[in-house]
Amino acid sequence: MTRADYCIVLFAALLLPYLYITQWTGNEAGTTASIINGNNTTQVSLAHDHTLEIAGALGTSVIKIEGGKIRFVSAPCLGKQCIHSGWLQHAGEFAACLPNRISIALLGEAPRFDSINF
Amino acid sequence: MSEHANNGADSTTIKTTPDDHLIAWLAALAITIHIIESVLPSPLPGVKPGLANVITIAVFILYGWRTAVWVSMLRVLVGSILIGTFLSPTFMLSFSGAIASLAVLWLASHLPGDGLGPIGLCLIAAMAHMFGQFYTAYLLFIPHDGLFKLLPLLMTAAVIFGIISGMIVRSMLHHLSKRHGQEK
Repeated sequence: MTRADYCIVLFAALLLPYLYITQWTGNEAGTTASIINGNNTTQVSLAHDHTLEIAGALGTSVIKIEGGKIRFVSAPCLGKQCIHSGWLQHAGEFAACLPNRISIALLGEAPRFDSINF
Repeated sequence: MSEHANNGADSTTIKTTPDDHLIAWLAALAITIHIIESVLPSPLPGVKPGLANVITIAVFILYGWRTAVWVSMLRVLVGSILIGTFLSPTFMLSFSGAIASLAVLWLASHLPGDGLGPIGLCLIAAMAHMFGQFYTAYLLFIPHDGLFKLLPLLMTAAVIFGIISGMIVRSMLHHLSKRHGQEK
């Protein structure tokens, strides 16, 4: 191993923790939730705790906002995927109840596209 | 590299140099490894031992950057045609990775002093390969910030496999020089 080799190994050894720290922590907290009900979109601030009841295509979905986080609490659908999504708190996170046609998207400072496929 | 006559005297024969034969043999070796490796299951898309790069690095050390470019590009091209991924996303990723690692090898060949040994070369080439294919994936296929969550894992794999293939190259060169020593 030459001295340059050691430099490269050291560089790699420093780069890995840097990547883990920057990519896996310090997520931007979501500030606003965008609730999509059918074709209507409403924006809800996560600043104060409250519970929302929203009438969807099947029935009423209950959405809870607490401590800057948001989640589905109850839903009339069969699968309960939306409830199993749990708390959303980082910008870009998403939970949806397709049968009831209600979904929640968390927005941060700079809202971007969710994904693009082609 | 060479084209043999197959229909009599009027067929043309391309003159080949010993260099062409060398490149062809080494590329064939790299392509074989590339294809065998493509059959191996992978825990994450993008994580592959990258053993074909062992050949690229060994060629770089033994015969220089230009030969390494030939061998690496032929491997990506022919390998993808044989597997059936030519011009598919898989090909784009391995092509961009190969370009990135060759670019880094070019820089490494201009280092002053002792330069890099096999392990340093393999490691930096593996990391460049990963960055290259990661950014291609990000720009072309999945332009979503969530992709960056994968980067630490992918880079860890690149570092581990880079060091392992560096050790393989080192012992390979060691054996080669021992054999050459016996012949002389």
